[in-house]
Amino acid sequence: MSTKTDTLSRVRRSLNLNTEDEWSSVVRDRMVAYGLLALYVVVVWFPIYYILITSFKAPSETLSFPITFYPHDPTLSNYVEIFQNRPFGTYTLNSLIVAGTTTLICVTLGTLSGYTFSRYDFLGNKALLLSIIAARMIPPIALIVPFFEIMSNPPVIGALTGSLYNTKAALILTYTFFNLPFAVWIMKNYFDGVPRSLDEQAQVDGCSTWEGFFKVILPVAKPGIAATAILAFIFSWNEFVFALVLTSSEVSQTLPIGVSLFVADDFIDWAHLAAGGMIAALPGILFGLFFQRYIVSGLTQGAVKE
Amino acid sequence: MAENTRSLRRRLDRLFIPLTVGPTVLWIAGVILYPTLQLLWSSLFYTNPITQEKQFVGLDNFASLIFENGTVGALNPDLVQFTKHTLVYVGCSVTISFLLGLGIAMLLNKDLKGRGWIRTAVIVPWILPYVMSGLMWRWMFQTQYGAINGVLVGGGVISEQIPFLSDGTLAMMALIIADVWVFTPFIIIILLAGLQNVPEQLYDAAEVDGASRWSRFWNVTYPFLKPSILVALTIRIIFDIRALDLVWVMTHGGPGKSTEVWASWLYRTAMVFGDTGQGAALGVVMLAVTFAVVAVLYKVFGGTPYET
Repeated sequence: MSTKTDTLSRVRRSLNLNTEDEWSSVVRDRMVAYGLLALYVVVVWFPIYYILITSFKAPSETLSFPITFYPHDPTLSNYVEIFQNRPFGTYTLNSLIVAGTTTLICVTLGTLSGYTFSRYDFLGNKALLLSIIAARMIPPIALIVPFFEIMSNPPVIGALTGSLYNTKAALILTYTFFNLPFAVWIMKNYFDGVPRSLDEQAQVDGCSTWEGFFKVILPVAKPGIAATAILAFIFSWNEFVFALVLTSSEVSQTLPIGVSLFVADDFIDWAHLAAGGMIAALPGILFGLFFQRYIVSGLTQGAVKE
Repeated sequence: MAENTRSLRRRLDRLFIPLTVGPTVLWIAGVILYPTLQLLWSSLFYTNPITQEKQFVGLDNFASLIFENGTVGALNPDLVQFTKHTLVYVGCSVTISFLLGLGIAMLLNKDLKGRGWIRTAVIVPWILPYVMSGLMWRWMFQTQYGAINGVLVGGGVISEQIPFLSDGTLAMMALIIADVWVFTPFIIIILLAGLQNVPEQLYDAAEVDGASRWSRFWNVTYPFLKPSILVALTIRIIFDIRALDLVWVMTHGGPGKSTEVWASWLYRTAMVFGDTGQGAALGVVMLAVTFAVVAVLYKVFGGTPYET
């Protein structure tokens, strides 16, 4: 990383900018870039800001015109009420269980198989990897009928479990189906970037394949694992369509369903809805602000989202 | 003792590949094969929504999906209308978000201070739950107290609130705006990654040669950006064809049927009306269309989309 002055003089030299006129046109370019980006950020964040302030407005202020751009009488009552009068505690817990378990399974299986796909040539490894990409292409919505049928009447394990309809297990199974190919793909690409000399060094040091993997490779793979975990968690936390198809009551309904239920009411209670929406949006906002690096690296390695 | 441990270790090492890949392969075989076969199978049956009795009807579900009254002749007007809606929705929002995303990515690719923070701010809409984004936009477009009418009326641009979501054309426009808002970050991230692959010396050389901005983009940037464009467009398009969340919570396919797209039609048919056979047939069609779209994009842009 060069210092700022270095960068400037390098840019200046490389662009052959000798006169002040040419130089100021570069500065002008940069000012325009800042201006446009600032405008974009403000426009993009305005709706988020508006729903955030709505969640702190008294319901009566929500329905006032002209509209207000900050809560004149800020209150936490919307948040208190959705946890008291609506089962938002249960929804949140369900979301945590479903997204957490899915993430755990996807990270474990994705890391193990991603490593093997990256390092070994074995019978059918290319065909398997291609099938995994193909699995990403299947439009999930096309599969709502079979998933509904399979979960209502599960084959093989159904004898033990009975119907899985309206259980958190059904959501975990479904989300793992859709997120695992993605996890394998990110981890495979990540391991491709880890030098093979590390594996060899581990072998020279007398590690078995397993020891080498756990003691030498895994610690190096932490950023890849973080990216996989964050994306798998966000995708399953945010998922709506399959939760809508596969659940019917508080036992298994997640936050996105809880928030959408405000619309079923004849009168939409916007202040309470905004509070529920903010709860559902919280992990996304937090992950976005603090772990953006991992999200971007995971995305560009896996390049897909459900 | 030592001999035993070593042979156990050797045996475990031999099992490394099957033990690491096996569970994943079994799991994914489940997602590709089983539900897809079940989808094809379900599309051949009529399911009575009340009794849940199934009756084999062969390709009748496809016939009634494609033709009016299910016999070869005039096309099913619903199919024609909802296909148009899907094309408008996908076409407009992918085009707008692609151009906007390309522009922002190129701005962000400059050597700007605070770039990291701007990138963070830009990415957030994409990682919020779509449901929450959909409801948020419904609230923004709300007729009496919505922020958009609030700003427009308050600023004196219009004198009376516009009922955005009660008019078919305006509702479609609102959906497209929400969709662009949600998915532009994705385009930005993918294209920005591609832009960072362009060697800086090439720009300098082009600059020295006096190449115009446009020629610099076309001859230097574009060739390097092609794989990223393929990824961005493929995923955007196939995602938009199948996306239900925004449409379902913002307009429910209405007013009337004016924003009904394939995804909401499938959900309504299969889950609201309980005609799972017909829904499955539509699912099969969407599967085929998705693969066709991917094939066409590969032909146009070349290469595998996953090799950025």
